[in-house]
Amino acid sequence: MRRLRALWMRFRGLCQGQQADNDFAAEVKSHVAMHTEDGIRAGLSLDEARRQALVRLGGVEQVRQAYRERRTLPLIESLVSDAGYGLRGLLRSPGFTAVAVLTLALGIGATSTVFTVADAALLRSWPASEPQRMVRIVASTPQGADYSFSYPDAVDLAAQSRTLEGIIAYARYAATIHSGSESQALLDEVVSPNYFSLLGTDPGLGRRFAAAAQSGQPCVVIGNAVWQRFFGSDPELVGKQILLSGRNYTVVGIAPRGFRGMTAFIPAELWFPITARYGASERGFRGFELVGRLRPEFTPAQAQAELEATGQRLAQAYPAVDKGRTVTVISERQRLREAATPTAMLMGAVGIVLLICCANVAGLILARGDARRKEIAMRLALGATRFRIVRQLLTESMLLALIGAGLGLIVAVELFRLQSALMPPAKFSLGLDLHLNAAAILFTIAVSMLAVILCGLLPAIQATKMSCAPALKSDERGGPPRRFTLRGSLVVAEIAMAATLLTASGLVVKSFLVSLKMNLGFDREKHLVFFDLGPGYDLARSAAYFQQAETSAAALPGVRHAALAQRMLLSDFGGGAEKRVSIPGIELPQGQTTIPVKFNAVDSGYFQTVGTHLLDGREFTMADGPHTARVAIVSRTMAERYWPASTAIGRQIVVDGKPCQVVGVAEDAKIIQPHEALEAYIYLPFAQWPRGEASLILESEQDGRPVIAAMRNVLQTMDRNAPLDVRTVDYLMQQAFWEDRITAAFVGILGLLVIFFGALGLYGVISFAVNRRRREIGIRMALGAERNDVVRMVLREGMAFAAIGSVIGLIASLLTMRVLSSVLYGVKPTDPLAFAGSVAVVISVSLIACWIPARRAASIDPMQALRTE
Amino acid sequence: MGEKTDVWQGTLTLMVLKTLESMGPQHGYGVARRIEQTSGDLLQLNYGTLYPALLKLEQEGYIRSRWGTSENNRKAKFYELTKAGQRRVRKAAAEWEQTTEILARFLAPAEEA
Repeated sequence: MRRLRALWMRFRGLCQGQQADNDFAAEVKSHVAMHTEDGIRAGLSLDEARRQALVRLGGVEQVRQAYRERRTLPLIESLVSDAGYGLRGLLRSPGFTAVAVLTLALGIGATSTVFTVADAALLRSWPASEPQRMVRIVASTPQGADYSFSYPDAVDLAAQSRTLEGIIAYARYAATIHSGSESQALLDEVVSPNYFSLLGTDPGLGRRFAAAAQSGQPCVVIGNAVWQRFFGSDPELVGKQILLSGRNYTVVGIAPRGFRGMTAFIPAELWFPITARYGASERGFRGFELVGRLRPEFTPAQAQAELEATGQRLAQAYPAVDKGRTVTVISERQRLREAATPTAMLMGAVGIVLLICCANVAGLILARGDARRKEIAMRLALGATRFRIVRQLLTESMLLALIGAGLGLIVAVELFRLQSALMPPAKFSLGLDLHLNAAAILFTIAVSMLAVILCGLLPAIQATKMSCAPALKSDERGGPPRRFTLRGSLVVAEIAMAATLLTASGLVVKSFLVSLKMNLGFDREKHLVFFDLGPGYDLARSAAYFQQAETSAAALPGVRHAALAQRMLLSDFGGGAEKRVSIPGIELPQGQTTIPVKFNAVDSGYFQTVGTHLLDGREFTMADGPHTARVAIVSRTMAERYWPASTAIGRQIVVDGKPCQVVGVAEDAKIIQPHEALEAYIYLPFAQWPRGEASLILESEQDGRPVIAAMRNVLQTMDRNAPLDVRTVDYLMQQAFWEDRITAAFVGILGLLVIFFGALGLYGVISFAVNRRRREIGIRMALGAERNDVVRMVLREGMAFAAIGSVIGLIASLLTMRVLSSVLYGVKPTDPLAFAGSVAVVISVSLIACWIPARRAASIDPMQALRTE
Repeated sequence: MGEKTDVWQGTLTLMVLKTLESMGPQHGYGVARRIEQTSGDLLQLNYGTLYPALLKLEQEGYIRSRWGTSENNRKAKFYELTKAGQRRVRKAAAEWEQTTEILARFLAPAEEA
């Protein structure tokens, strides 16, 4: 306690400064005066008395110093003065400071971002109170782990459990929210009534939700963001009815701020209780994931044993659905252990980047320390201890790291914002909950401290390792220049890595550009607009609804064609739907009687509207109705596979047991995504295969926006509550090529980052070498070397690194690019343009990196360089 | 008179506190002289070390200081014990007595035997 008080007083002493010093000076003065008086009284002369007083005191300056050290905290005082000194030094060389800080900011920013992503995606626990008590319940089956359960199974597991307080069942769906004229799709979770109470973050909400769910009335809990965005944070909203997907729901409550549901990557914004509509009573419908809460007195192992036994009883009771499934439990600790490996891999990868950053900055500091040999030697000669100087140099690196960390945090926050741009275009906002939390900030500080030690310690020790006399006397930088230092090899490695990555990004970018032009089997240049319609009527009424929508659409000004199709182009939504097809007279492989064939049901306008060409036969017509003979159009691949010798027209195929006649052959079109392999495909007349949902496709003359607005009006007058969703062909293309775009961007940015670091390392090494060789260069110039010769000499040295690096990089590329061949489209992994481009970039960036020190070398004044002897 | 002894580390604090207890408010020079006199001039006190020790005690809250006038009409800084200081003196003195008593027993074993 007393010590703490003393520490605090000393801390305050830091700020008292001059006044306290004067105070003590006066006290010493009065002490000496009193002592002198006593001396005189004892019979000494004034001078002798004064001398003795001073001797007994032990020297005025020494006492003042000792007093001062006790009054304040000398360590902090010198730290502050070191920081000031370092800051002035950094400001004196702004170029060095800028490059070093930028490098550290990138390294630290990248590290913090990856840490935050790993934390959000892998490490963060359930959104529950006491999350360590939550356990995930999985089934192991012969096919592997299965996370899905039926709701009746979940209820039985919970009812027969003593070790668990309860089990939450949840499933992800999507709902549409209507506000004004706008409607938007939101992700929701359909959950068991105990969901909020078992999670335990908001007990009041938990009770209300459980009660509302038991009552069986349609009700909903809405997310905090939805509450703000659509209802203006209306405090009276709870208890009111809102319209979702065309139905009325009573709002039971608002979820706590930041609550995103159970899946990190897929944030839910609405929560509905499980009802029969979601298969609450079907034991065969495994649509739910389960999470349980352990009672405090039980261990996960006990829960495991108990649930396994219950699972066996269920398998015996319901062999048709539950046979062969063993129920197991994943504890929170187990989950974290499983997350450790991917986390470590992520952190390892970004750790290497940080290491390269630090090595570069260390190189820069080393080069700078070399230039400051004289200053350091002078301070050593004046009595500074080596430890003191190392501490001072480390303070300087610490400043760099602190500024770097500050900027790094800004970089990280900016990178978080990029997340939404990196997500695939979707109706919903996917993505992780990324924000700087205490852990991330602490982590950043730890990383920067590490960076300080990595960047600063070695150069600091190096810089102070000298005997003062020769260092003071000459400019000689000691020892002959060594060519293959650790730093040199590091630079070569960086350049090699950059060359490899640049080759890869060249290939990926070229492939991206080529694939943008690929033939998708429809005309992407058309201004196509897709309306997803699903009014929720029976089939007959739906058919009439679609017909009316199509007719009104075709009549709109600016619409060229309109068509109906069961599914949209290039969309994974329903794209995998298949029909069982058999072909009379054709033997199917492996003795199968039918094969699964993907299909689309379209109407007569389809081919013309989307621009898919018919190669043979006819399109569907209005005459191909529900009561006429069934017909089909097959894709070219299908026709060539099953009727290679003759025409497919007029052949019979049996679709879902119904015979159809092939009336046309269409060109191949991509079904789900652009890079898929071609496969057999059939088109069926929409009228003969009716459905309750359809996609209305419009081709507008120009930009589709006015048409979209007009069509929206039409559809709303037809049925205000029918959900509708619009997409343009551009949006579909973006979605389809999202992966290519992200890959190209990611590899490209990585390549640029690495070449930047490589150039930085090269710059550091060459500057260092030039500084060491000032005198040699001076002599050369005195002996008649031209400035150009000097520039050439330095460039030659630097470009040797670049050349070795590039060659290694190209060899590595040749060996590794085969890995890329699966993602490349229309480009060979050995594409000479990509290789040449990579070398060109590496060489020109290296030239710039060497040019700066080369110019500096050439501007050495020979007289001055020699005179410093 | 034997050799003059330097003041042991740690004992100076107690001497200062005890001196202030017996003399009341006193300036640094006075404290120093008094310690020397009390020791029968056996102690050789380096006056310079006294002031950091006084400062430490003040920082710890055992003594407080203010400027005043000495008996010779000189401006001087006077130190006096605080309540905490008085408690401290009693406690430290008791501890010290115990220590010396124990040590004395070790140093004079003959009487026991």
